[in-house]
Amino acid sequence: MTPLLDVRELVVRYGDFTAVDRVSFPVGAGETLALNGPSGCGKSSTALAVLQLRRPDAGEVLFEGRELTTLTERELRPIRPRMQPVFQDPYGSLSPRHRIRDAVAEPLKVQGRWNDTDGPTRVAELLDRVGLDPSYGDRHPHELSGGQCQRAGIARALASEPRLLVLDEPVSALDPSVRAGVLNLLADLQDDLGLGYLFICHDRAVVRHFADRAIEMREGRVTSG
Amino acid sequence: MKPTAAGFTRALCLVVVVAAVGLLPWLSGRDPALTVLRARSAEQEPTREALDAVRRDLGLDAGPLALLGQWAGGLLRGDLGTSWVSGTEVLPSVVAGLQVSLGLMGVALAVAVLLAAALVAPVLVRGRGSGGGFAAMLAAVPEFLLATVALLVCGVWLGWLPTSGWQGPQNMVLPALALGVPAGGLLGRLVADALPAVLDERWVELWRGAGVSRMLISAAALKRVLPPLVPQFGMAAVGLTGGAVAVETVFAVPGIGRTALGAAKSQDLPLLQGSVLALLLLGLATGAVAALVRRRLLGPALRDAGLALPPARPVRTHWAVPLTLFTVLAMTIGWGLLRDPYAVNTAARLAAPSLTHPLGTDALGRDVLARLGHGAASTVGTAAAVCLLSLLVGLALGFLPGIAAGAADIANALPPVIVGILVAAAAGPGTGGAAVAVALISWPPLAAHAAALVQEVRASAFLTAQRAIGATPWWILTRHVLPSVAAPVARHALLRLPGIALALASLGFLGLGAQPPAPEWGLLLDESRAYVERAPWAALAPAVALALLAALAVTGATYTRRARRLTPAAKPVGKETPVAV
Repeated sequence: MTPLLDVRELVVRYGDFTAVDRVSFPVGAGETLALNGPSGCGKSSTALAVLQLRRPDAGEVLFEGRELTTLTERELRPIRPRMQPVFQDPYGSLSPRHRIRDAVAEPLKVQGRWNDTDGPTRVAELLDRVGLDPSYGDRHPHELSGGQCQRAGIARALASEPRLLVLDEPVSALDPSVRAGVLNLLADLQDDLGLGYLFICHDRAVVRHFADRAIEMREGRVTSG
Repeated sequence: MKPTAAGFTRALCLVVVVAAVGLLPWLSGRDPALTVLRARSAEQEPTREALDAVRRDLGLDAGPLALLGQWAGGLLRGDLGTSWVSGTEVLPSVVAGLQVSLGLMGVALAVAVLLAAALVAPVLVRGRGSGGGFAAMLAAVPEFLLATVALLVCGVWLGWLPTSGWQGPQNMVLPALALGVPAGGLLGRLVADALPAVLDERWVELWRGAGVSRMLISAAALKRVLPPLVPQFGMAAVGLTGGAVAVETVFAVPGIGRTALGAAKSQDLPLLQGSVLALLLLGLATGAVAALVRRRLLGPALRDAGLALPPARPVRTHWAVPLTLFTVLAMTIGWGLLRDPYAVNTAARLAAPSLTHPLGTDALGRDVLARLGHGAASTVGTAAAVCLLSLLVGLALGFLPGIAAGAADIANALPPVIVGILVAAAAGPGTGGAAVAVALISWPPLAAHAAALVQEVRASAFLTAQRAIGATPWWILTRHVLPSVAAPVARHALLRLPGIALALASLGFLGLGAQPPAPEWGLLLDESRAYVERAPWAALAPAVALALLAALAVTGATYTRRARRLTPAAKPVGKETPVAV
């Protein structure tokens, strides 16, 4: 059976510096693969390259059996919604100018799935699904706590109906008291929706608790896995 | 040094400006032969043969490229050509003018430094607070207004000092004051705004605790404040070259600025080319000296960009001050708009203020209040158009920071008056030309602001998220990038409106903008100068109005810094994600 995501010999360079050096791993549906390592080891570069948000310099990224690195931006656009990122900075990942409701509704609008009768109900469902009272939809990001913002970011990612979430240190900027809540939410979502997670993290305790498998990265290379 | 986009556009812009100067005879599109013929022999009929002879004589029949080549070739040999009007060599006149202007600017610079020291001293002595408000006021007063007022008060009414000419040191006092006070205000304001934040830094506390003398701490704080401000000092010195045109004209000082203006007005293009080139070189040389001084002061810290100042704390006046200024101006203008600015009444020439003419009448018996009101309407209208134009240019170039930076360097080295002279020489003096001239140099600060915001938005994770949901570049640009950038930059442009109106008025004052009988503020001030002893109110009304406008420009401008960041709550936690939109 083909895995949900299969990364082969991925290379990312910034000028002369090789940030990601021939990294390979698969992620199956409903599985969590942790990508672990110190800061600057190329974890986030790997995440961006998998999502094709920074095109890799070499290697293959197969998503649902389809090779992404050779596709044009236009060909990628219909595929992008099926793989969604969740970022480290809960405030920075939401536009400060827009209400939470608009941020969650935007994927529906961009992907042509919005209509005025069902749209608002769908947004309310999504907010409810991530544990936010739908009344929070009227607020702006700066009126929410970090944990609430991160939940809103997850709701926006779910709005695209993804199969894979790339979680780039989703809890490391949060207060320790709310980390567990967000991690439990992510675990519930995985159980319910069968999502594959690429979980980027530098905290081994979290990795042990949360991941099915873990690989270690150091200076751009996979050192164990 | 590696060639950069900014360096390339800088060189390109410089070449374009110099080429524009070289091509002036061709750009102006008018037949210079007629100008020359009139100037050389007034009685000769402008027959075809006579005009052809002049054209051949000047080498004008060769076409633009040959003309440019000829001029550039002469330039390399140190030959600036021959004046069309007087028939004499241009170079000696330029050198003579430059000597006078350099003397004047030197004294003015001394005045500026003394004034700046006086403004900064109280901040150092008290250790906090700022004299920035008063300094900003001085910085905003345009040179032509200060020169006119100084001429009236000290020269005409009090009779202390000579009002025109260039015979001795007594001739230097008033022009140097008029030129030096705004520059000193600017320098003083920059330092006084930056000092309080520096004096709150931890090392000052430490030094105080260790018993270091106040003198030493002050010296160290100044040394900390000055280097990052040096480029701005360079710009202030460049501003002197523009101010010199107005001041030299008011006081009839035979400097390079007055030579350039006179040449522009008499269509003596070779002389104009020579003097504008000299002014341009002066501006660029000052900029280069400023850069050198900065490098000397900073040393290796410059390379590491490690010596940024803490954010300046400009003194913000109470919001009621700009509001009151605005209301007074608006009411006066509104009242004046109801009256007829062109109605000539020869029976009531130079009448004192009365019930029928609340601000008196001018030399043709026209109502001063009416002319003030209508003048404001046209000036503000033009200024609004200029503002909009520079906003659009600034926004567009904000997305191309490399190109914008190089072009902005050149635009910063050109004071509005000199651009005004060039545009007037090419297109003839008029409101449109003046507007173009001011627009050409008013976009750089807006472009810089836009570029900073674009960079900030592009680096944010929410834009990456937009691409991840499959949004098109057009959607991202129109829904996210433009709204984040356009609103703050538009607010910034609006606050620059009074400053732009002042630049337009200074061009009008020099005869490079609106033409009589149009009621433009600068022009009003210029026209009333001739009758100032008999009818001071005719000069006082536009002078006070311009001063109010300057005050509005200052008190309003301190409000630009609000809302610089997109969100107060968002602190950059994650790594910056490279995003191409």
